[in-house]
Amino acid sequence: MRIEDSEQVEEAVPLAQQAEWQDITPIEQDEGEGSMCPIAYTDEYRELMGYLRAVMAVGEVSERALALTARVIEENPGHYTVWVYRKRLVEELESDIAKELDWVSEISSKFPKNYQLWHHRESLVTRLWAPSNAQGVTEDQRVTNPVLRRELQFLGAAIDEDSKNFHAWSYRQWLVSTYALWTQELVFVDTMINQDVRNNSAWNQRYFAILANRDPSAVHLEADMAKSEIEYVVEHIKLAPNNDSPWSYVTGLLLRHAPSMLYTDLLPRIKQLAADNAYQAAMTLTPFYWSALLDIYEQQAADHPDTKKQLVEESRAICDQLASETDIIHCRYWNFRKTSLDTC
Amino acid sequence: MSYLFSYDYRYDDNAYDTETSNKQVDVEDSIGQIYVKYVEPGTAQYGGIFDNTMLRLHRTKHEQFVRDAMHGLSSGFAVLDASQPWLSFWSLNSLDIMGRTIDSTTRTQALQTVRRFQDQRGGFCGGQGQLPHLAGTYASVMALVLVGGDDAFASINRERMYEWLMTMKREDGAFAVHEDGEVDVRGVYCVLVVASLLNIMTAELVSGVAEFVARCQTCEGGLGPYPGVEAHGGYTLCGLAALEIIGSTHVLDLKRLARWMSARQMAFEGGFSGRTNKLVDGCYSYWVGGAFSILQRALSRTPQDDMLYERRALQRYVLACCQDMRIGGLRDKPGKSADLYHTMYGLLGLSLAQHYVGVDPQTRITDTTSVYSVPARMMQWDVVTSAADVVGVSSNVVKPVHPVYGVSLVPLAKCIKYFYALPPLAPSL
Repeated sequence: MRIEDSEQVEEAVPLAQQAEWQDITPIEQDEGEGSMCPIAYTDEYRELMGYLRAVMAVGEVSERALALTARVIEENPGHYTVWVYRKRLVEELESDIAKELDWVSEISSKFPKNYQLWHHRESLVTRLWAPSNAQGVTEDQRVTNPVLRRELQFLGAAIDEDSKNFHAWSYRQWLVSTYALWTQELVFVDTMINQDVRNNSAWNQRYFAILANRDPSAVHLEADMAKSEIEYVVEHIKLAPNNDSPWSYVTGLLLRHAPSMLYTDLLPRIKQLAADNAYQAAMTLTPFYWSALLDIYEQQAADHPDTKKQLVEESRAICDQLASETDIIHCRYWNFRKTSLDTC
Repeated sequence: MSYLFSYDYRYDDNAYDTETSNKQVDVEDSIGQIYVKYVEPGTAQYGGIFDNTMLRLHRTKHEQFVRDAMHGLSSGFAVLDASQPWLSFWSLNSLDIMGRTIDSTTRTQALQTVRRFQDQRGGFCGGQGQLPHLAGTYASVMALVLVGGDDAFASINRERMYEWLMTMKREDGAFAVHEDGEVDVRGVYCVLVVASLLNIMTAELVSGVAEFVARCQTCEGGLGPYPGVEAHGGYTLCGLAALEIIGSTHVLDLKRLARWMSARQMAFEGGFSGRTNKLVDGCYSYWVGGAFSILQRALSRTPQDDMLYERRALQRYVLACCQDMRIGGLRDKPGKSADLYHTMYGLLGLSLAQHYVGVDPQTRITDTTSVYSVPARMMQWDVVTSAADVVGVSSNVVKPVHPVYGVSLVPLAKCIKYFYALPPLAPSL
């Protein structure tokens, strides 16, 4: 029981003793003898749940039911049923959605890893500003719309708190997709990458922002775009070559959307970096450089069969080196990679 | 095996630290302090000889931890009030994997408890008076598989279950996890596991599933919960296992997947992380370890071919770092407390690393159109004893498990036998 001020003292009084709730008979859980893993609920929680089951059973729509759902959620934010009930109440009571979003924000600061609150936010935001209404205005106007601005702020804070919060980044994808906020997203991604070049959630978001909802199987990256991404990646590899994220990102991006540029453009840039005195040691020691070479050579050999023999030989040597020296823990994978070279 | 421990395998941050690298270094420090105790003094710096005989699975402690939980949980567990089926499943499965008896009292207790979660309209809920949920359904059904027996199986209403599953089906082929709930590949996994076990697979149910899962593969190679979202170990297992059930693992770029999966094994710790540039966690021993077993089959590899990860290093991580000697049970990593979830998944991962459970590529069934091909293909998974590799004292060995279903093979077989003796809802998929 949290008694913070005189207004909330009333909430600490058991529901059974509140005049407002006299008409309701709580529905108890059947905790027959010999239940497995029975939870020793506090009296408060047990009572809240008993009343919740009772009002849900009759489909009550009321302010008192709404207040009850808030209390239950504060005790157990993972209670997905009560979130569904609350959503319905907010709709039917025509509650102030902005206030509801404020309340959800409070909850999320206490429970950042909860699934349900993000899902709840989605439904509130689309009600507050229907995506179809957002289509008639420019992205700049959309971003400054109070509804979206608040969401972006909220997301910024959540990601600030935990830079890799899976739910936050996932919700961000929903928001950006639904309201077409692609340009600002690329800026946000860049900020996050510069904050921590090893933040893989940010690099994944970069791919997402560049694809901008296009069907991946239908996207061919224009040469200019591919080149600028390669430059971007190389600049960030320079900061710390032994970092999976930029390497996975650029090989993945090019493999899918501009495969020939793996060897026409990426290859010379990374070879140049590996030859540069300032980076040579780091590049030689990181498995990611060698792994990228394998990906590149494989594509090159597939596109230019006349070079295949030479490239396969070089690739075999790389696999051996990775398996025996540079990346021993993954030796079984590198041995597999080596055997599959002959079958490409 | 000395090369598997060395300070040389520590993370190289290229003298440029960020939050990610600092966290990684901290974890390696704490794990290094543990590992060094197993290494011959004076040899650690350049490749120490790890004394595996010191690695012991403390079954009795873990059994006590689980039985205490089965007996009752403190009020703080109210936060899992909507995950009650999981509590039973995590407990029962942990005991079963460790080869502990589920006696008739426990059996009755479990059956009575889980029965109460079934919804009249179909499916199982996170608790009484809650909405049915795909995860709660999955956990309930798996708990009943472990309970076993015709009474347990007969308690599941197959027809209602199928109707409810279809109400969760969405246009893109995926499923919402509950009415008005989120849609992701977890839901797909739960549906396919349950439907394949209860013999309620139909073409309608599985339509679009393979396409949806394929779209969840990211440019890194792993799978996320939903198209576009970051590749993650848990969702990768869910997607891959779902595809394996319907015989469609080929829709994925398996080579790119293999690359990402391999990178999940941490060079110094030996355990798996769930995402790129994130920390090791004992639960991924199953999510990623199980995915490796399925990948082995998808690539048509044989028991003579190695698994594509270092099985011994993974076992070392679980045994040396994930056992909570204070309260029993297994945990994420040193410094974290044990819990039922990490206990079960740690044990599952240990099992999959100790045993080789696979499908002989020579004799594998490839038909995917008959409803009966599903159990036939699932039951082809078998233990290849010659490929076992148990680290530490021989008594560390636990029961082999099926990588797709995450339970041991005998209860699974009995469940399949029961349900496939009943008429299917449709003859073909």
